[in-house]
Amino acid sequence: MAERRRAAVLAAVIAVAAVPAALALTDRHLAGASVALVVSTTAGALAVSALALQPLLAAGRRIARHRLLGAVAFALVLLHVGALFVESPDDAWFAMSPDGPTRARMALIATIALAGAVTLGVLRNRLPLGAGTWRGLHAYLAVVVLALGIGHAVLTDGALDDLGTAVLVALGAVGLVGVPAAHVARTRLARRG
Amino acid sequence: MRRPWLFGLLLTLITGAILVALLDSEPSGTGAENVGQSGPEPTVTATPAESEGREERVERRRCEATESNPGGTNNYLPDAPARDALGGGFVITGLVRAADGCRPLPDVRVQVWLATETGGEQDNRASVRTGSDGRYRIETAPTIAQFGEPNIHVGYDDGDFGEVFIRRVVDLDDERAVVDLTLARRG
Repeated sequence: MAERRRAAVLAAVIAVAAVPAALALTDRHLAGASVALVVSTTAGALAVSALALQPLLAAGRRIARHRLLGAVAFALVLLHVGALFVESPDDAWFAMSPDGPTRARMALIATIALAGAVTLGVLRNRLPLGAGTWRGLHAYLAVVVLALGIGHAVLTDGALDDLGTAVLVALGAVGLVGVPAAHVARTRLARRG
Repeated sequence: MRRPWLFGLLLTLITGAILVALLDSEPSGTGAENVGQSGPEPTVTATPAESEGREERVERRRCEATESNPGGTNNYLPDAPARDALGGGFVITGLVRAADGCRPLPDVRVQVWLATETGGEQDNRASVRTGSDGRYRIETAPTIAQFGEPNIHVGYDDGDFGEVFIRRVVDLDDERAVVDLTLARRG
């Protein structure tokens, strides 16, 4: 029974996670688009789903999966950016420059915050940080990643507009509510020892 | 946590720096104003500079030269082929004038390039010449978002005047864009 429930939950999670990517891939914006743009958009859409699920995994004590999905999300974000450099180096450099648009600056800051959160995860036991400080910092970076990452996706015209925007906002809300929930859950667990 | 106030202060400072970095940016990039319009194309009336009998007064005028803005040269390739149209459904027009005297400049070649439903910025490029009234016009396929927003590029790089490369934006549902250029003589 428990196994069947677990399978149902997993199927539901995968279905939800596939929604942004499915919407993006069927949008007319990608009709006739280059392989690089399709790869970049799909990677970005999947990264949104992965990042929104991260706090839920942490709150549910699925730490091994949380680490794995964190690495996957980071790789997806790097693939998203790398594919944009293949698509148009001029536009990619411009977007990341001090003259780039607000949505690109949001993405840049979110990516730096994600790199920080991943680094904290990798170096968890090797940093001179108390457990409470580590948790607070990791949660703070998670909020920055979600708020600015979703903000970037919403402000970007393209494959995820209209219904896509609603899905992005919903996933962002799940993630942003999940972060304090995960923080409280992990802090309680630590106090219990 | 031994010094929660220090931790709180650090996060507050980082948050402040992030907000400043975001507020400091322009929504579409530096200098990329929205030049999109919709509805029927307006009939062009002669500008004062075009009217006869005002030459002397016009000569003394000086118009501010258009400055290139960051990103203006993105995907620029010199010497685009001369084309009458790049598809249909969207119109780009503009008046090209001289900074000195503000007079319309006839037979000046400008390049227009943009991402549309039929191709990217490097495929959709055309050289167009201004008419006797200093105006150019080219019809293109409807725009699509390029890196998150539809961009219109117009450039001048033909030697007589200083080069200008500008990047403007439109909304996805716009039907027209107006990009005027005021060119300053070299030297």
